[in-house]
Amino acid sequence: MSKGLEFSKKTKERLQAIVAKYPEKGAALLPTLWLAQREFSAITPEVEEYVAGLLGLSLVRVHEALSFYTMYTPQPLGKYHIQLCTNISCSLLGAEELLAYLKKRLNIEAGETTPDKKFTLSTVECLGYCGTAPVMRLNETFYENLTENGIDQILRKLP
Amino acid sequence: MPELVLTKNVGKKDSHTLGIYEQGGGYQALKKALLEMKPEDVIKEVDKSGLRGRGGAGFPAGKKWSFIPKEAPKPKYLTVNADEGEPGTFKDRVIMENDPHMLVEGSIITSYAIGIYQAYIYVRGEYTRSISRLEDAINEAYARGYLGKNILDTGYYLDMAVHPGAGAYICGEETALLESLEGKKGQPRMKPPFPAIVGLFQGPTVINNVETIACVPHIIKNGGEWFNNLGAPGVGGGIKLFPVSGHVKKPGVYELPVGTPLREIIYNYAGGVRGDKKVKAVIPGGSSAPVLKVEEIDVKMDFNSLAAIGSMMGSGAIIVMDEDTDLVKTLRILIKFYAHESCGKCTPCREGTGWMAKIITRIEKGQGESSDLDALLDIANGIRGRTLCPMGDAAAMPVQSFVTKFRGEFEDYIKRG
Amino acid sequence: MPTLVIDDQKVTVDPGTTIIQAAKKLDITIPHYCYHPRLKSVDMCRMCLVEVKDIPKLQTACSTQVRDNMVVFTNNQKVLDARRSVLEFLLINHPLDCPICDKAGECMLQDFYFQFSRHTSKFKEKKQKKHKVVNLGPKIVLDSERCILCARCVRFLKEVVGTEELGIFDRGDHSEIGIYPGRPLENNYQGNLADVCPVGALTAKDFRFACRSWFLCQENSICPGCSTGCNVLVHSSERSYDKTLRRVYRLTPRDNDEVNQSWLCDVGRYGYHFVDDPDRLTAPSLKRGEEYVKVDWDTAFREVAQRLRGIFERYSPSSLGIIPSPQLTNEDLYMVKKFFNETLCITNIDFKLPGWNQGQGDGFLLKADRNPNTMGAELLGLSGIGPQAGEIIEKTRLGEIKALYLVGSDPARYLGEEKIASALSRAQLVVFQGSNYNYACKFAHAILPGATFVEKEGTFTNAQARVQKINQALRPLGESLPDWKIILGLALTMGYYFPYKAAEDIFKDIAREVTGFSGLDYKKVGDKGIKLALSGG
Repeated sequence: MSKGLEFSKKTKERLQAIVAKYPEKGAALLPTLWLAQREFSAITPEVEEYVAGLLGLSLVRVHEALSFYTMYTPQPLGKYHIQLCTNISCSLLGAEELLAYLKKRLNIEAGETTPDKKFTLSTVECLGYCGTAPVMRLNETFYENLTENGIDQILRKLP
Repeated sequence: MPELVLTKNVGKKDSHTLGIYEQGGGYQALKKALLEMKPEDVIKEVDKSGLRGRGGAGFPAGKKWSFIPKEAPKPKYLTVNADEGEPGTFKDRVIMENDPHMLVEGSIITSYAIGIYQAYIYVRGEYTRSISRLEDAINEAYARGYLGKNILDTGYYLDMAVHPGAGAYICGEETALLESLEGKKGQPRMKPPFPAIVGLFQGPTVINNVETIACVPHIIKNGGEWFNNLGAPGVGGGIKLFPVSGHVKKPGVYELPVGTPLREIIYNYAGGVRGDKKVKAVIPGGSSAPVLKVEEIDVKMDFNSLAAIGSMMGSGAIIVMDEDTDLVKTLRILIKFYAHESCGKCTPCREGTGWMAKIITRIEKGQGESSDLDALLDIANGIRGRTLCPMGDAAAMPVQSFVTKFRGEFEDYIKRG
Repeated sequence: MPTLVIDDQKVTVDPGTTIIQAAKKLDITIPHYCYHPRLKSVDMCRMCLVEVKDIPKLQTACSTQVRDNMVVFTNNQKVLDARRSVLEFLLINHPLDCPICDKAGECMLQDFYFQFSRHTSKFKEKKQKKHKVVNLGPKIVLDSERCILCARCVRFLKEVVGTEELGIFDRGDHSEIGIYPGRPLENNYQGNLADVCPVGALTAKDFRFACRSWFLCQENSICPGCSTGCNVLVHSSERSYDKTLRRVYRLTPRDNDEVNQSWLCDVGRYGYHFVDDPDRLTAPSLKRGEEYVKVDWDTAFREVAQRLRGIFERYSPSSLGIIPSPQLTNEDLYMVKKFFNETLCITNIDFKLPGWNQGQGDGFLLKADRNPNTMGAELLGLSGIGPQAGEIIEKTRLGEIKALYLVGSDPARYLGEEKIASALSRAQLVVFQGSNYNYACKFAHAILPGATFVEKEGTFTNAQARVQKINQALRPLGESLPDWKIILGLALTMGYYFPYKAAEDIFKDIAREVTGFSGLDYKKVGDKGIKLALSGG
């Protein structure tokens, strides 16, 4: 294991409980990566090595998962991660216009982070909030029936 | 208007808690099943209900369960598919957020019926609230003796856990879901062997959609025949959740009899089209289902009626597009989605979706050529029916239906440049 | 046993057989990429889709098991359309760099496109950009743009070698094969990756840009790298030898279920370079003062014969020592035994230099004993007659042995240069017979150049007592000769005649005289070898 990277005691207990749910340790890879991402804010190569060691998996297997699933990030994102759905139901109700608005407001392209590391802007596929489209996810909170005005209000309230 | 079954608690305060669920008669079905019914009777009852899989494929649930061998060298598993990712679909989330115990109870009854001692609920990673509500519900159920050892003093035991996904539409495909649950990339497995024989951790595995499992307690409580009769007259198959989105006045999830006409859902329940515009096109069963023209919206929303007109019920998600909708852009959004979500394992889907996305993007940018539409159809034909998993068809069908049914609009777009 | 019809031909096969295997029995090749007979089927490439009567969707021939009365079409319009379409998909993002691709001429994408498709591409878009010239390790280079993502390489390492060093990262048409960043391949089977790759994505550094595949001749042989005796093909060309100084371009594994399946280890695969090494001995030479003078074979034989006779006459057979090598063929070794032991009555003959079989094995194909013919040397009686090879060297150092004849052996490799120098410098006569220069040559009074395993024919007996044949792929370099011929020539010069014209003649006598080999027929050894029935295991 590398460079002194280690889960907190609480996370270790949590991990133990998760691993116990499966007959094979490796099955805990996705939930373990979630724990790691929350604790270390990104799945860096050091984290990959740490997780591979914890679960007895090859580095290749961990790296495959990291590269396959879109919700894991190999590098730290901005303090606020805005994920705007641009799939069909949201786009029918103006998601692409909202994307243009967010880009202009944050002065970054989708996939980028503001220089002050406050915001990362991403477009994502259907988030399952089609009935209250357009929708965006800001960290773990969903904002539904989104408008430009709504975006202004949400962003203004952020510390 | 019959009484609501799956969504009756939606909007109630603390509807997700055990207390509220039990007040409404929750876990009575579990007691009935475990204390009064033999496992095979549970399967028989579900068989009678006409319940067909609500995830998209529409396979009869009772029949699916009967494929599980009684004796197997490896443990059997129930896996609930809560990887709701089909664009336009948001019905399972409504159940998990508002009534997670319904899913938990349904999962216990299902496990009991098949002789399963471990169940997993695979929830897409984006559904953070569903995940926490389900985890809470499972904890409550353990505390109350509905899960764990010696459930209701019957000697039956069951463990249940939530498994979070991490962003991959393909994990909604049942074998990809199993791979993902085993901690791998979510890439579909070849079949056979079918999951009913060799599934999760090599054990026989039942995979059912959230809505399907949520119907089970009601079927056990009120009988299979009762459920079947909730379907439209002459159609049967119970009630179904129809998530409606797009250009309607009142989007949302509507619980209606299977076989309710599409037009009725759009105009009577979803309030008709915004700004009272005309309908141009409707996708009737999630983004993969072939699009319908306005002339076709009198179709009944059931598996057979939709198949008869060349579309499908899929997840039952209805996406309404009004007369001003730019179908080139809409199709571009859909194809890009499939290209983005293709797992890359088999050739036609991996290469074909990306290729189609490039063509439609070029057309949208005004650089289309007259041969592009035939190229799109040709590629879609090359994918259809030839991929490892159903996602190939899912990507091909929108292209085929959009380009065929609205060819004039696509041609005009290309001519305008 | 199920009987089915494939393209109007009936075939009966074992239950559990797949369509692709059943078709093979009828000599029908169903095109495929991800399918490999030694790997688990994965249904990925979709190239092997065939029609099965009464099933609406096409089925993958690689994984669909046959049923009784099944009717299969592998070449009807529906199947051809699907095949063409898969080929078109595989080619949209594939660069058209066949002219500089090492796999050209042996690429399954080229072959099947030519055979089944020849379509004009309707692809007008930009191709996917992927990584090129990726160093996967010491042996293999990856070109991701050429990769068709059949995952054979990934699966080979996982299923056969048991390592997860390669994976497929990302997804969709961004998917790429790769190692974990910074963790190059370390296993001993990397060369097989280039073999299993059906296209030009994985190429072997040893072969890259060295020769067009169609200029190469292939000859069946046996890897001389260890006592497993993996079956190989020797790929060689003498076309541009004057410029390249290279005749052998690669060894590739040849199927043998009993020995190496379809694989070859890197130690064996890349061990062939000695064949064209500048240290090859190409002419008989005699020491004159401090100089070596090239002579013709007759002169060499005469001088060696004369000096050997001199020592015989002055001393006795016990003043001569012979150390042959278990690298030699059964036929070479038989001649060593026949002449030096049975004819000249020399008993100081032994091949077991200390540590001769003490390499590092890997538990799979590579054995600790790095000699292809130890078993043959044992069975032919080249050990246990007198002192062991180490003692022969020691007796030379003590002056008890006056003449030492090395046949292909390299004693310094096992005993160190110092020891060899002190022993060999005391001998009145040192003859070195062999293919390449080694330290012992420094002390040789006569050097007799031997041919290498690719320049002669004969047999090796592997550790499982399987007699396997090597064939001549190239003419012996310079004036070198197969070792048995050298001994034959020397014997004749000394007045002993052996009636052998070819290795086969010697093999006949081996089969007649040597226990274990009795009754064997050279022809019947064939391409797959024959296991000896040895009593007592």
